[in-house]
Amino acid sequence: MKEFFISTYIIFKEGIRILIRNPMWLFVGLFEPVVYLLLFMPFLKGVTSAPGFPAESATRFFVPGLIIMTAMFNSSYAGFGVLDLLESGFIERLRVTPVNRLSLALGFVLQSVTVLFIQSIIVCLVSLFFGFIPNFTGIIFLFMLVILMGTCLSSISYTAAFIFKDGGVLASVINFVILPLFLLSGTMLPLNFASKSIQIIAMLNPFTYAVNSSRLLSDGDIYNSQVLISFIVFIILCTLTLQWFIKVMKETVA
Amino acid sequence: MDNDVIIVEQLRKIFSGGGKRKSKPVEAVSGIDFRVKESEIFGLLGPNGAGKTTTMRILCTLITPTAGKVSVMGFDLSKNQTEIRNNIGYVSQKGGLELRSTGRENLIMQGRLYGMSASDAEKKADELLIKLDLNSISGRKAKTYSGGQRRLFDLATGIIHKPRILFLDEPTTGLDPGSRSHVWKEVKKLNSEGTTIILTTHYLEEADVLCGRVAIINLGKIVELDNPAQLKRKIIAGDIISLTFDDDKALVRAKDVLTKEIFVKELQAVNSTMHIYVDEGDRALPLVIQILNNSDLHIQTVSLSRPTLDDVFLKLTGRKLIDSEND
Repeated sequence: MKEFFISTYIIFKEGIRILIRNPMWLFVGLFEPVVYLLLFMPFLKGVTSAPGFPAESATRFFVPGLIIMTAMFNSSYAGFGVLDLLESGFIERLRVTPVNRLSLALGFVLQSVTVLFIQSIIVCLVSLFFGFIPNFTGIIFLFMLVILMGTCLSSISYTAAFIFKDGGVLASVINFVILPLFLLSGTMLPLNFASKSIQIIAMLNPFTYAVNSSRLLSDGDIYNSQVLISFIVFIILCTLTLQWFIKVMKETVA
Repeated sequence: MDNDVIIVEQLRKIFSGGGKRKSKPVEAVSGIDFRVKESEIFGLLGPNGAGKTTTMRILCTLITPTAGKVSVMGFDLSKNQTEIRNNIGYVSQKGGLELRSTGRENLIMQGRLYGMSASDAEKKADELLIKLDLNSISGRKAKTYSGGQRRLFDLATGIIHKPRILFLDEPTTGLDPGSRSHVWKEVKKLNSEGTTIILTTHYLEEADVLCGRVAIINLGKIVELDNPAQLKRKIIAGDIISLTFDDDKALVRAKDVLTKEIFVKELQAVNSTMHIYVDEGDRALPLVIQILNNSDLHIQTVSLSRPTLDDVFLKLTGRKLIDSEND
């Protein structure tokens, strides 16, 4: 067991070391949420008085969604980080070592989740200047949910990178999958503004529960059933996607 | 047979046809058998697509075979992959260095992945850097290394944990002659210290210089297996006279004329060149020239050579190894 944790840490540390040497990821990863805060949230101020708008202010509605959006987009692009490692033969070198395959997968996923965790904290801190004061216990649970989402989405993204091995194809596939999930999650606008059919489809989207839970947790409503459902759904998805990642990693012919 | 560290029996690998056009399944390895003895350098020689890299990747636990039995260091490939991984080192064609890290960092990480403590991995890495004369550049990022330097670091990552068997996939492809001989020197040194080495190559000279035994692979099958000298003796006794003519018509006529001669053991025409296999080349050459002159056949070029592994490959497969690279 000790070996398992050590090798996971070694893979994780290697990835973080590379990231620290190129801190552009931090600025690039934060650019999008900050742009949304500055340029999109002011639009929402005009619609808070609209019938059916679920929150008292645009900030309380939009910032929790923005945290989920950051998790969705940043984690789903994690696979790009392994394309050059596949090309250089580094992944193959790792696969010949006796390191446990779950350990290899977790080492990569943890890199992505750590980056996401830091970005989520920074988004929350920046949002303070826009008047977003979340419930402390709720935000801790929200970060836990974000970690689960990050694990699930980065596993899928790494898996896709192992399958397609091509940046252009990977970008197209990720956009094809993530964009509809994002638009149907109610991050940008309340889902009750949409038609009934869209609302029904949105209920099948696990990220709808994540966005709802994010808002509930920011308000401190940690015992809400939506929150429980989100955690259960993402724990199951994490298990399945990690297994898929390991299976594909084992079979990849570079 | 007790000292066989690798036993391969009826190994097959079929890659299912994939991609946009749903191509047909490809049989990359077609039922091969061989054994590798402890402390030998064993070569898999063949052109690209022959199946040598696939065979090596199966032995290194990277690909699951379709059929057959493989044992590495006494461990069954289908059941004991972790045990096999603990006993082997692998240097792929691409190398596998993390290019944004330094060479030393790559080495230490590799040692750690084989269970060494941080201090042991650092100590071992530093020893290797001195041994391979890489100390002065070990603090530079791997992406700044030349091809030869990178290959030596690849080699170092493959041996930091002192594997019993080292797999080298085309260890000197793309290297300049100086770097190539440096890598050869290190490979020989490793072998003299007791490491069993299996390498794939399409360089005949490499197989000739390094390997104790060579398996010639073509289209997924082993067509011959022996030591290089024996292969040359067994397959081609005597010398080879190679001739080129003004046109293919002349070549066909020359073949007809020379086939009848007693001293000609065999004739083979490949890519406008005719290879004549004879016992004593220095005696046969003037006769060949005279006979062709008498038949009004104009020879463009002529050469007399001792057989090489390329000639062995040509004899066994009907094509030249170097030419088949470009197929």
